[in-house]
Amino acid sequence: MDPLRAQQLAAELEVEMMADMYNRMTQACHRKCVPPFYKESELSKGECVCLDRCVAKYLEVHERMGKKLTELSLQDEELLKRMQQGSGTA
Amino acid sequence: MPPAQGLRQQLSSPLRDFLLVYNRMTELCFRHCVCNLNYRLLDGPRGDESCLDSCAARLVRANHRLMGAYVGLVPALLQRRAAEHGAPAGPSGPPASPEPAPGPAEPSEGAPAAGT
Repeated sequence: MDPLRAQQLAAELEVEMMADMYNRMTQACHRKCVPPFYKESELSKGECVCLDRCVAKYLEVHERMGKKLTELSLQDEELLKRMQQGSGTA
Repeated sequence: MPPAQGLRQQLSSPLRDFLLVYNRMTELCFRHCVCNLNYRLLDGPRGDESCLDSCAARLVRANHRLMGAYVGLVPALLQRRAAEHGAPAGPSGPPASPEPAPGPAEPSEGAPAAGT
């Protein structure tokens, strides 16, 4: 498979995943910051600030999760290698 | 271009599954661990960061266990289904037997892909 096509696929996948993340973030922050009282149509200042902070925190959590997942998957790979080496020599 | 699309699905599906799991994990752990939105940064002293780390590790281990259980149970299920479909035709059920053999090979392919 040529690298250009692979790059294109990777870019499409990334866009799809960012869209999915955005939807989840919207849902989570709405649940946390906007109480289900629909008497007024305007958002209060507190709710606006809450949403700003929620987005910032969600993105930070997303980055942190990514690093943690990479770390855990590297550990798993090392374990698998060790197991394979052990079974190979035995 | 059906062949290209098939190739795309074949190549990107494990990665896609992994990334979807990643997004779901982020949402779950955020919902559970981040409760105080009075500050912009994550709250170290209150344990937000340690909660997130444990949440990530826990979900990954739970995912591994789930996969193991699923892989253990699915061959029997498929065998039963094949037997049900094959029964009206008569006693000719050898195609079900090769299925358990590729079973143990599947976790090693699926493990790095779906959630690790």
